[in-house]
Amino acid sequence: MSIPSAEVAADFRDALQDLKQNSRPEINNLTIIAKENTEHAQAISHELESHIKATRPEFKLPALYVLDSIVKNVGTPYTVYLGRNLYRTFMDAYLVMNESTRKAMEGLLRTWKQPVPESMDPRPVFSPEVTGDIENALNKIRSVQVQSTPAHRPVHALPPRPAAIAAWRNTPTPPQNGARQSASQDPRIRAPYPPVQQFGLYPPSMPAPNPYGQPQSQNEPVSSVDLEDLKTEVAKSISDSQQAFAYNPADANLKQRLDALIALKTMLNTKALTPASLRDIQTQIRNLAPLPGPAPMPTFNPPTSIPPPNMHSQLHSAPPVFPPASAPPINIAQLLANMRPPMPPVTNPAAAPSTPNLADLLRRVSSPAQSSSTPAVASFYPPPFPVPPPISTPVQAPAVPAPAPAGTPTANLAQLLAQFSKPAAAPPAPVTQPVPPFPVSLPQLLSQPPVAGPVPGSAEWLLNALKVLPTNGTPSNTTPMASEPMTRQSSAPTSVLNEVELTTASMKKPRLHLISRLYEAYSNQCASCGRRFENTPQGKEKKARHMDWHFKVKDPQNLKRAIHRSWYISEKEWVEYRETDETSPDEPTNGSSGTATAVKKQAKDRYVPVPQDAAIAQAPCAICQERFETQWLVEANDFVWMDAIQVGGKIYHATCWEEYSKGAGIPMPSTPERGVLGKRKAEVSTPTSGKKPRAY
Amino acid sequence: MISLPGLNLGAQPAEPLNVPALSATRTQDLAANTEYRFEVSFSRTLTLKLLSGTAEFLGTELAPASSYTFQGTKGAVFTWHGCKLEISGEADSEYVAEETQMMGYANAHFALESLREKSAQNCELGPRVLIVGPENAGKTTLARTLTAYAVKTGRQPMVVNLDPRQGMLSVPGSFTAAAFSSIVDVEEGWGSSPISGPSPIPVKMPLVYHYGLKDPEEGKVFKPLVTRMALAVTSRLEEDKASKQAGFIIDSPGGISQGKAGVYENIEHIISEFSVNVLFVLGSERLYSDLSRKYANRPTDEAVHVVRLEKSGGCVDRTEEYMKALRHAQIRAYFFGHGENTLAPHSQAANYDDLTIFKISDSTDNSAFGPDDDNVYAPTTSLYERITPSSSIVNSLLAITSASANDRQDTIRDSSVRGYMYVADIDEGKKRVKLLSPQPGQVPTNALVMGTFPEDVAALVS
Ligand SMILES: Nc1ncnc2c1ncn2[C@@H]1O[C@H](COP(=O)(O)OP(=O)(O)OP(=O)(O)O)[C@@H](O)[C@H]1O
Ligand SMILES: [Mg+2]
Ligand SMILES: [Zn+2]
Ligand SMILES: [Zn+2]
Repeated sequence: MSIPSAEVAADFRDALQDLKQNSRPEINNLTIIAKENTEHAQAISHELESHIKATRPEFKLPALYVLDSIVKNVGTPYTVYLGRNLYRTFMDAYLVMNESTRKAMEGLLRTWKQPVPESMDPRPVFSPEVTGDIENALNKIRSVQVQSTPAHRPVHALPPRPAAIAAWRNTPTPPQNGARQSASQDPRIRAPYPPVQQFGLYPPSMPAPNPYGQPQSQNEPVSSVDLEDLKTEVAKSISDSQQAFAYNPADANLKQRLDALIALKTMLNTKALTPASLRDIQTQIRNLAPLPGPAPMPTFNPPTSIPPPNMHSQLHSAPPVFPPASAPPINIAQLLANMRPPMPPVTNPAAAPSTPNLADLLRRVSSPAQSSSTPAVASFYPPPFPVPPPISTPVQAPAVPAPAPAGTPTANLAQLLAQFSKPAAAPPAPVTQPVPPFPVSLPQLLSQPPVAGPVPGSAEWLLNALKVLPTNGTPSNTTPMASEPMTRQSSAPTSVLNEVELTTASMKKPRLHLISRLYEAYSNQCASCGRRFENTPQGKEKKARHMDWHFKVKDPQNLKRAIHRSWYISEKEWVEYRETDETSPDEPTNGSSGTATAVKKQAKDRYVPVPQDAAIAQAPCAICQERFETQWLVEANDFVWMDAIQVGGKIYHATCWEEYSKGAGIPMPSTPERGVLGKRKAEVSTPTSGKKPRAY
Repeated sequence: MISLPGLNLGAQPAEPLNVPALSATRTQDLAANTEYRFEVSFSRTLTLKLLSGTAEFLGTELAPASSYTFQGTKGAVFTWHGCKLEISGEADSEYVAEETQMMGYANAHFALESLREKSAQNCELGPRVLIVGPENAGKTTLARTLTAYAVKTGRQPMVVNLDPRQGMLSVPGSFTAAAFSSIVDVEEGWGSSPISGPSPIPVKMPLVYHYGLKDPEEGKVFKPLVTRMALAVTSRLEEDKASKQAGFIIDSPGGISQGKAGVYENIEHIISEFSVNVLFVLGSERLYSDLSRKYANRPTDEAVHVVRLEKSGGCVDRTEEYMKALRHAQIRAYFFGHGENTLAPHSQAANYDDLTIFKISDSTDNSAFGPDDDNVYAPTTSLYERITPSSSIVNSLLAITSASANDRQDTIRDSSVRGYMYVADIDEGKKRVKLLSPQPGQVPTNALVMGTFPEDVAALVS
């Protein structure tokens, strides 16, 4: 027995309480306490969380730097403990911060989505699920801010930082648990399952070079085009454009740009793109013309110029080891060995002389059957140097103008996106996609980032195919690999299950090889609730909506009002009800009720203008006795109460009234105003169901 | 929290929480294909966290690094791949079992999946499953596991609960049906029906009927309700493609598996009304042999696959005391929510005249008709008697049916339920009733039904 946790925690707390500014030595000291007391990690993490929560806003940021230093320099188990409540810890602090401190926090968050710099561990500091939730929340907050302060946005100042100090790095590189990286094992074999294996948790963090020496925004590796970051940028462009569009509703170009951006967003969510194309897209987004009207200029980072190492390179970005169908049997062990990512990653996509241009790429992902008759346009390389955004480029139809040193990339983007959004170009699922007819080498295909589902013929796909094959029970590392698994691609699963007869005797047979259908077949797991998704574009899309749902549920706004049990729906409603779970897309699931329900608005998206009469403006909801939330609504161009409804001269929460009226059998009065929130949600494709009984 | 005049409401459980102040946190390694079985009473909590590997609780996978807190639960965390768990709190009993029935349950799932694949191809109704077996044989556990696996596989199975002793997404005494398209809750039984705010686990949308008796054999309500529910479920599935392909799973009360001289009237009734084609028999050899004989020679289009599954060694007999605590917890959760997700019910007052209460007449006690009541229904049918509130109904549940007070008794019986109210107090002098309702609003004028089960819940409102 060493010192009790409480004592260590108290020491740590004392030291924390002295931390009143961004002081490197003090942060180091706290990090060392944490590092030397990992057995008390839980207590220390708890202290740190409570301190960040309780301390005055101006002391929160230094404390967050402590958190950052600990997770980067010590890593596990702190990443686990702190990751658990990171959403709360981060968001609670963020909400009370001023603008510049928020920026600094966003900088921290960005680094948490990356591996620890110079670390050999390719995993991000915190898992994407953890940072994704926060990222979602920030996006929403930003869009709300944009709405409530349409004419003004402060220029973000960088937070004050201590002068550069020597890199602090005294943690030896922890042994990497390679098991996590290794390919999944054959579930037929009982013995090989070690108690701890590929489903491990958060990465043990690697030592970090001092991230505090320089302003964060320049410190982050600008070369990396993170898919999530790009999505964030696109989302932001969308919201900025929407904003501008609200002020210039007649601007067709703006509308076109908006459509293009939304199409792009869908594509990012659903299509597998190479790092090179991601970078191209990013460059173009950043070079979009400034928006007209009172909408603020989006401030973007300078365009990237250094191609990223492939941050995603993992199991999926295997080197081309796939043999032709007629190849001789291959050794699975060898295959698995080959599938490990090269370490350190040496790929430099931009160095490849023939990086396909975006036009090609888009065509490739959107319609493989289409011939490449469209003349290839100029390549989409970023300009060799950052181009300052033009002051007032007039917007011309149909292209979205932008400074275009090499060709007219943005015009192409608009065209391409327009092309892409045509329903005719609806792409088949990549899993069933044949090898495209245009010149694309197998290595190229296989080096796609893991956003792609297993490419047919890829090592991962092969593994999956092998896994579901019937087995004689003997573990084998020399399973012959003929063309059979490939040709049976679609029929294989059925035939495997046909073998499971519905008889008492059949139930007793061990069929451990089938268990992969419950795990590996859905390899994309939500870290907050454990739900699994397929590692396909559709699965990703579902998961994205699912994460969005988690976000909404966690929204502190939701906790403000009393919640009660709803009435059960009637038999008729139930018979007609179609599940809309948190991953369902927006559209009504059955066509018949589509028009009726689409008009019907979500109660919480209803609003009334804040009453002029002071007495009424002070009155609470007559049902729950709680006050209304005032917020600025761009669309109404007024301060409004959201989730409010006026019935017979009284104002209620719309959701309160809905519950009440449902129980009492009173129809919901229809009001003319359109809910702007509902509209926005539809555009970013969050799961808003048009249906009244909502599966929240 | 809303102030409720006249009532001092609390969501506190009846038994005092008696959690040790700082219970030791320990880790437990589980080898592949083993399970950690535990029992934790209502006065304690046990918290589990998956540190590494994979693990599932009744088929629902645990999220990595998330804490799951159990109270009043008996169950097992199983691992297919091996795992490390962090355990804190005190279990009343706990051990690791090497021999489990999970492979059998998984095989059952895969066999059903095979049928679902075929139905999807032919646009037919998926497997219609009924689970039978003696009490505590693991029927509900199997139903949950099969549901969880189906959901995991992207299906949307319909689940029907015909066991009044333990509610599914509602209070005990009710029968429910619901499609599951999102994960099954780990901590809160089958999960939660919709609430007016967000829920950390997606809510399910149940269709609810009130049965109001303890055993399926008594009274004249079980069979008609089965018929009615089969109608509703079948109508839903006709149009609901996703649920149609997945089929449904019916959980049944142990009582119907006792039978009389090898005849299992209620099982046969369920099979014929729901067109059941897969019958899982848990445990009992006798039941299996009786039923497989009965359904042996049926034409192929009406074939019933009778399949026996072993009873898990983990199944524990639950005492009447435990079952009662479980029921009270379910009723409390209906009004006050579960765990951290507290709900705010409303207290209401009503005059005697505002309420139309029908009491299910106990078939064993037909003389109990209220003499002071001009009951027009009692002579023609003995289903219900209309009662005037009296102190004897304090602490009982009233089902708010969707029928009106003047509807025929069989209409009332067959009508689905909109919710439940709890009789908190009666002022016989003023002829006033204090009610606890899930939500604010007027006191419903619908026909209210009071059963003999579940028993009164005294500690709900203190
Ligand atoms: N493998 C297991 N390990 C530990 N506990 C288990 C296991 N399987 C079932 N149990 C527990 O045993 C009890 C009985 O199981 P279950 O409720 O599934 O039986 P049942 O047949 O539905 O009972 P009833 O007839 O009362 O409805 C439950 O508390 C359940 O959680
Ligand atoms: Mg049961
Ligand atoms: Zn989730
Ligand atoms: Zn209200």
